[in-house]
Amino acid sequence: MYILKNAWKSISRSKGRNILIGIIVVVIALSSCIALCIRRAADRAREESLASLQITAQISVDRQAMMENARDQAGDSGGHDQMREAMQGADELSLEELQTYAQSEYAEDFYYTISSSMNAGGDLEAIDTSGSSSSTSSGEETTESSQDVPELPEGMEGGMGGGRQQPPGGMGTEGDFTVTGYSAYEAMTGFMDGDSQLTDGSVFEADTSEMVCIINEELAVLNGINVGDSITLTNPNDEEETYALEVIGLYTTTSTQTFQGGPMMGFSTATDPANQIYMSYNTLKSIVDQSEANAETETDSETGMELTTALRSQTSGTYVFSDVESYEAFQEDVRDMGLSEEYTVSSSDLNAYEQSLVPLENLSTFSTYFFLVVLAIGGIILVVFNIFNIRERKYEVGVLTAIGMKKGKVAIQFILELFMVTFIALIIGTAAGAVSSAPIANQLLSAQVTSQQSQVQQQMENFGGRGGQGGAPQDGGAPDGGEGVPEEPEGGFGGQMASYISDINASIDLTVVVELIGIGVLLTLVSSCAAVVFILRYEPLKILANRS
Amino acid sequence: MSILKLENLGYSYDRQKTMVLEGLNYEFEKGTVYAIVGKSGAGKTTLLSLLSGLTTATTGKILFEDKDLSKIDRYRFRSRDVGVVFQSFNLLPHMTALENVVLSMDISGKGQRNKKEAAMELLIKVGLTEEKANRRVLKLSGGEQQRVAIARALSYHPDIILADEPTGNLDMGTQDEIIGIFKRLASEEDKCVIIVTHSPVVAESADAVLELAPLRSPSKSAS
Ligand SMILES: Nc1ncnc2c1ncn2[C@@H]1O[C@H](COP(=O)(O)OP(=O)(O)O)[C@@H](O)[C@H]1O
Ligand SMILES: [Mg+2]
Repeated sequence: MYILKNAWKSISRSKGRNILIGIIVVVIALSSCIALCIRRAADRAREESLASLQITAQISVDRQAMMENARDQAGDSGGHDQMREAMQGADELSLEELQTYAQSEYAEDFYYTISSSMNAGGDLEAIDTSGSSSSTSSGEETTESSQDVPELPEGMEGGMGGGRQQPPGGMGTEGDFTVTGYSAYEAMTGFMDGDSQLTDGSVFEADTSEMVCIINEELAVLNGINVGDSITLTNPNDEEETYALEVIGLYTTTSTQTFQGGPMMGFSTATDPANQIYMSYNTLKSIVDQSEANAETETDSETGMELTTALRSQTSGTYVFSDVESYEAFQEDVRDMGLSEEYTVSSSDLNAYEQSLVPLENLSTFSTYFFLVVLAIGGIILVVFNIFNIRERKYEVGVLTAIGMKKGKVAIQFILELFMVTFIALIIGTAAGAVSSAPIANQLLSAQVTSQQSQVQQQMENFGGRGGQGGAPQDGGAPDGGEGVPEEPEGGFGGQMASYISDINASIDLTVVVELIGIGVLLTLVSSCAAVVFILRYEPLKILANRS
Repeated sequence: MSILKLENLGYSYDRQKTMVLEGLNYEFEKGTVYAIVGKSGAGKTTLLSLLSGLTTATTGKILFEDKDLSKIDRYRFRSRDVGVVFQSFNLLPHMTALENVVLSMDISGKGQRNKKEAAMELLIKVGLTEEKANRRVLKLSGGEQQRVAIARALSYHPDIILADEPTGNLDMGTQDEIIGIFKRLASEEDKCVIIVTHSPVVAESADAVLELAPLRSPSKSAS
């Protein structure tokens, strides 16, 4: 094909011009390559982490909505009491209700936990959070956490303010231990995630009702408990009420915070990871039922509220979904099934997931814009360049068409010339991009993560939080904070820092190469448009006549 | 059958306000050398542009082998059937003489073998040295460029050769040589050779002479 030969010869005849075009294209290709690699890596990271994400959700009272509701109803006049009433009126859903929603076709699995607060009985002694005496064994993290915890009086006595995780209207005392009963192993997220590990003995059967439990190794060491020994727990409201449990396993944990459902505000011995006692749902449920049967109730003459000595307990259910779509469908489905607006369905995994993507998304958006700007500017430069170029080559077009070369072929030759230069430059730019995109992407990402972190930090400070674990008034300032909203341990203002995706594999892949080739073709075609229009419009005779 | 036939041919550069050519009737045959003569501005170059299919008749028509030239593929016609030696050569200055000739052979699509050798042979035949044949056209003198233009016109063996003052920049000796080549092409290869010239010597050596007289515009718009 002589056109190809002509194009090649023509390129080598005008080296300066083509080197200049080449440099422009190398710059475009290099920056496009990096930008595309980042986008691609962000997409991949999003997909991969979403694919590996098990989505769980909870249904809880929507305090925000209720507050607004109450405010609306109350109007301007002294709505405070009404508001308070509204707050107290809403109870968390019962297990039966939670189970009804589990029937939704979108929920893949459902498990639930019951938690309560109990005191040490007999010889048993809880790990003292306020002192430094506990750092005898295992988990350095645990030690650290104990030091972080501000000093609070142990086992605060009675009153509204006692345990913030207590149910509304709750009197009763917070115990030394947080006791949790699980319906399934899946519910034991600490163990599922690998934060916690069984070190001795065995775990309880998920559906057992036997009086067996597992305790923290640290607690066991402190009390000289071995697997097979028995411990005694008491009702903090009624020290006479005791329950004997056999310790069938010991565990360690690296977690510095209590699991979901646990208290979020305030610190006490019960929040220490070492003071967590685990058993099956049925076991704890039977203890709570027994306690209720034994309880003495009286009615407070002032407030008209019922006071009971029964063990406080709190049930929460977790729905498991196979993917985000199911989760979203579930959100609508439960409304159809009759879930009132006072309750909200939320997923901490999804929140954390979205949170973790923020810097990456920022980077991806930034690189998209950068890419478009580079492409636009590069495109304009090339178009302008080609317009000048074609004017210079007007005579050549005239001669070629005069000696019988069809205009279309002349146009193809010119496009081909540009394409060859573009292509060679593209290869160079892509090669440079392939080498540099991965390190540059990670550097840019870490800068993003840092800026995101300091931004969140700033927000937390603005809200009076102290970063890390402090409790900020995320709850909309509800007077008695409620059962420690189970979700959003890391989102929001008061939560812990989100863990951001801070490392991506922005190495070049086939998709990026194909996209770059597409860009090359596009640039060539767009920038040679001027040439083509010119060639197709002019008559050879006019070009030649104008010259002489 | 004549190879080219002018039928009442008229031409205007400005939409019939000023006619450069008008009412021309003529027939060109193969195996003949024609000389087109006339004063400067008589329309000789214009006629050659029409005959080479670079432009089309304003009035009347040109028949190439009985087909209306304005209705056939004139790119193909230019690249294969007619070889033109332009008055201003119209060579590509950044290419070598040889490349210019080979390019024409490529464009003709006639699939000749050993194009380079054939082109070199032709360039030497019109009086260029091998060294000059490999030189970029822009570094050749006017006379040398004219030879390259002639070689290019002959390179793909067209049936018609049009030459616009092809001997203008040549010395007498070379002029004779070139005329000799043209005459041989007509007599030995049955080509139709049409030469625009104002040299009486060249005109005399032609088999037929077509004289163009300058025209006044019929609409008398010209002063
Ligand atoms: N491209 C053009 N546009 C307008 N007028 C032209 C053009 N070329 C030639 N002419 C005019 O046409 C007439 C014939 O020109 P031309 O064919 O070049 O004459 P010759 O070759 O006989 O000297 C002249 O009057 C000239 O001015
Ligand atoms: Mg002329």
